[in-house]
Amino acid sequence: MARPTRFRASVVAALVGALALLSAACTPGSENAAAPPPTDRAVQTDVAALGPVTLTVWDQEVRGGQNEQMEQLNAAFHQRYPNVTIERVSRSFDDLATTLRLAISGNDAPDVVQANNGRADMGAFVAAGQLLPLRPWAQAYGWDERYPASVRQYVSYTPDGKVFGEGEVYGLPQVGEVVGIYYNPAELQRLGIAVPSTWEEFEAALAAGRAAGAVPMQLGNLESWPALHVLGTVQDQLVPAEQVTDLAFGRDGASWTTPENTQAAQKIAEWARAGYFNDGVNGVDNDQAWQAFARGESPFLIGGTWLAPDLAAAMGPNVRFMPPPPPAGRPVSATGGTGLPFSITTGSDAPDAAAAYLDFITSPDAMRVLTETGNLPVAGTAQQQPPAGLSQDVFAAFAAVADGGQLLPYLDYATPTMADTMGAALQDLLAGQQTPEQFLATVQADYTAFVDQNG
Amino acid sequence: MASGGLATPATTAPAARPSPEPRRRGLGPSPWTALAYIAPAFVVYAVFLLYPLGRAVHLSLFDWDGLTPATFVGLGNYVDVVADDQLRAAFGHALVLIVFFALLPTAIGIVLAAVLNRAKVRGLAFFRMIVFLPQVVAMVVVGVAWRRIYAPDGSLNDVLAAVGLGALGRAWLGDPVLALPAVGIVGTWVQTGLATVLLMAGMSRIPGELYEACRLDGAGPVREFFAITLPAVRAELAVALTLTAVAALRTFDLIYITTGGGPGNRTSVPAFEVFNRAFRLGEVGSAAAIGVTLTVIIFVINLGVARIGERGGR
Amino acid sequence: MISATERTANYAVLLVFTLFALWPIGTVLGAALGPDDAGGVGGLANFAAAWEQGRFGPSMLTSVAVSGFVVVVAGVLSVLAGYAFGTMRVPGAPVLFPLFLLGLMVPGEVIVVPLYFDLRTFGLTNTFWAIALPQVAQSVAFGTFWMRAYFRSQPASLIEAGRLDGAGTWRILWRILVPPARPAIVTMVVLTYLWTWNEFLIPLVMATDQALRTAPLGLAFFQGQYTSGFTLLAAGAVIVAAPVLIVYLFLQRHFIRGMLEGAVRE
Repeated sequence: MARPTRFRASVVAALVGALALLSAACTPGSENAAAPPPTDRAVQTDVAALGPVTLTVWDQEVRGGQNEQMEQLNAAFHQRYPNVTIERVSRSFDDLATTLRLAISGNDAPDVVQANNGRADMGAFVAAGQLLPLRPWAQAYGWDERYPASVRQYVSYTPDGKVFGEGEVYGLPQVGEVVGIYYNPAELQRLGIAVPSTWEEFEAALAAGRAAGAVPMQLGNLESWPALHVLGTVQDQLVPAEQVTDLAFGRDGASWTTPENTQAAQKIAEWARAGYFNDGVNGVDNDQAWQAFARGESPFLIGGTWLAPDLAAAMGPNVRFMPPPPPAGRPVSATGGTGLPFSITTGSDAPDAAAAYLDFITSPDAMRVLTETGNLPVAGTAQQQPPAGLSQDVFAAFAAVADGGQLLPYLDYATPTMADTMGAALQDLLAGQQTPEQFLATVQADYTAFVDQNG
Repeated sequence: MASGGLATPATTAPAARPSPEPRRRGLGPSPWTALAYIAPAFVVYAVFLLYPLGRAVHLSLFDWDGLTPATFVGLGNYVDVVADDQLRAAFGHALVLIVFFALLPTAIGIVLAAVLNRAKVRGLAFFRMIVFLPQVVAMVVVGVAWRRIYAPDGSLNDVLAAVGLGALGRAWLGDPVLALPAVGIVGTWVQTGLATVLLMAGMSRIPGELYEACRLDGAGPVREFFAITLPAVRAELAVALTLTAVAALRTFDLIYITTGGGPGNRTSVPAFEVFNRAFRLGEVGSAAAIGVTLTVIIFVINLGVARIGERGGR
Repeated sequence: MISATERTANYAVLLVFTLFALWPIGTVLGAALGPDDAGGVGGLANFAAAWEQGRFGPSMLTSVAVSGFVVVVAGVLSVLAGYAFGTMRVPGAPVLFPLFLLGLMVPGEVIVVPLYFDLRTFGLTNTFWAIALPQVAQSVAFGTFWMRAYFRSQPASLIEAGRLDGAGTWRILWRILVPPARPAIVTMVVLTYLWTWNEFLIPLVMATDQALRTAPLGLAFFQGQYTSGFTLLAAGAVIVAAPVLIVYLFLQRHFIRGMLEGAVRE
């Protein structure tokens, strides 16, 4: 009966012949081997003079307050420059990561994209000459004054994409980010736990919450990146800041298998074993976790400031935020930096309009809009008057970490594959499927392979 | 999953036996006419399927990030398919999925079909329509539905709690051991209807006299099943197994929607790796090599199962 | 001869599997019709809200256009090629026909990688053609095979008679062979429509433009984008599944009978 597959020698011969022809064809990718885009060019800042322009903008600002600020700013931009139409494409962080590489190298690439700072995204695009260095417009618009060097390093690469943190600026972030601890004061009070002010107290609070029969923290790690922020938060308290920075920027000479890093990994495993997280963290998605926290199912949630607008809307005054309290004798340290920066693609046919858009959505006026919509602006944060409530906590935390403490970069920036490697390994660590040592070895292998090849 | 998925059941039968009639005794249309009829289909097919297939083999010989010029690495990517733990694991997961997508549905299908064939119950047409339903629902929708069922506050845990097994409840897709079987059960859900309906059709064509003769010999339902039913539907079994096994190997949408390969790569499968590597991680050559390997495996399964179906078949 | 116990057991088995098959569908339908995510009444209003927020309008239109194009073009090409393979002496048929069969086995994953990069070189990604034509190719592999089988099963005398009446190959095909082939063609069309509507990978890779987003893709992105509950996601899932389910409910006899005939005809 089932025999659709009677192949004859002639078919095989035809296929082999076709393949031989193909192998003689040229090397894939050689048609893309263009010189990197120039770092100086004449720029036009008079947008009205550009005539009718359509800008396609890809962003991932899908959450409540983020979406709101984007809509407001896009509308305001169009009102200011009626000749420019914004075609907005927004999708979730994960879906953006999945499709951006396809879009940016495809024909008809978007003009402006929100590309994650790390080597998997911005680094790879810079190396391939897909993003424009912003220097010409930075000079025209004065962006160097707008952004301090501490922010610029997160969006800088050398033009060959090899060194992260130096070289040309390739994107402008709108928001600052810091990963900290959300807590539910009512729930803490019910459990008889004081708001912790040191790392030791925080751990004691977790233990006390557990002993009282509560689930101390919510974590939704189906997407596998949320746990990176938990690890970062722990690591920042235990590992010297320079080490964390070197690891995150994928620099030669750093190592994951140090005693301090081992301690951090052990801590995560210990927390998971002790039942400090909800059951089945790897089967719960990130949104379900903050929703559970919002319903009062846990006193704590480790998460980034981007959750603040959603949590404030869901919980009102019942949620507070603080940077991770440091161990005695150490400065406040937290993972964070900038939100996803906006970049201009090489394929854009209206880079001047795109630059004007970047300038507009990161201007002081825009920073005010960001503040009003419950977001944390990256520049001139101190000049802003945050609305009362959770926003004030968020602003205070960012100031405390960025000015008085250490704001340390995200760990997945390090290598093009680190988000996948570490994400998967952390899921295993949390589930008790890998020991802390195995986890570190896995991550170290990815790290070394990249550093060796990157030179 | 365009054509391939359901395609082959049809493939099987109609082509099976050359028509008994002697055809075209020399006075048919000219060969050029025949080729002209085939040409449009062939051109589209060759450009958008055959050529890319060849190109996949070509790309699989390079180390390429999809953006900058590539480096020739020979068979290096294929060595990785065998040597790389993560990739080997992905192929291993595909084998587990075959159990859930192919073996389990076929086993359930044959028992179900045998029972129904014997019982002549009413409402068979309705049942057939319902049980076949999962075949026509988009995998994305299937994924959304099952992700909900498997959630910590989803209906699976509710059902377990209702029957007093609440302690077994968990976040199914995050469980290091059970995530893969959980995804597999979704496959069982999708494929059982296909296997059942196919096998029911096969059994309905078994002449009733065979059963009567068997009963006269004093055989019970079990012996009847092994002596008559099973041998008679050997061919349908082969078709059901091929179709469902290939579907298992091609699982992509489901993983993309439900687990993204997690937790800890425990549900990553070759088809998902192809996408992930080619378009997210920028390892195009490796992706192509996995794809080609997958194609070869599907090819071999088709041939192998076809053999089984033929042997002693008819 | 079948005891009452056995009969009861049979119905019990039927019931269990019916419930199993309907469980996920019921889960989605129930949630879609339930209260909305803010705890409001919801109900049918959920569909309107999901339609709006998930931008299902444009993506459903894209899906209709792509499916329509693939079904028509692949259908016509398959009838032509199947006719030649089934009734004529085709030079090179022993090579050509197995080449078509090969297409039934090639997974979309393997062709989508090179296709994307080659089409990109020619500036053809992000177009309607990049989504539709690869699916035409896949469907043609099946369709040619399917129609060849049908035409082969027709008595040669039918064609002889036509030829004696002086009809050319074109007339014979459309006047004599196609009209009675309606059930076979409907089956092919329904299957092609089903596969094309539900296809996920090709539109995901080939077009990143929002205007070219198909319905299943829209649902996948909506899942990531809509962060505050399940109701609207479920409503979106119903919207995306409905066009195929409706066709299935109306044509299911055609559908299942066709598939079975396909597997049975010898």
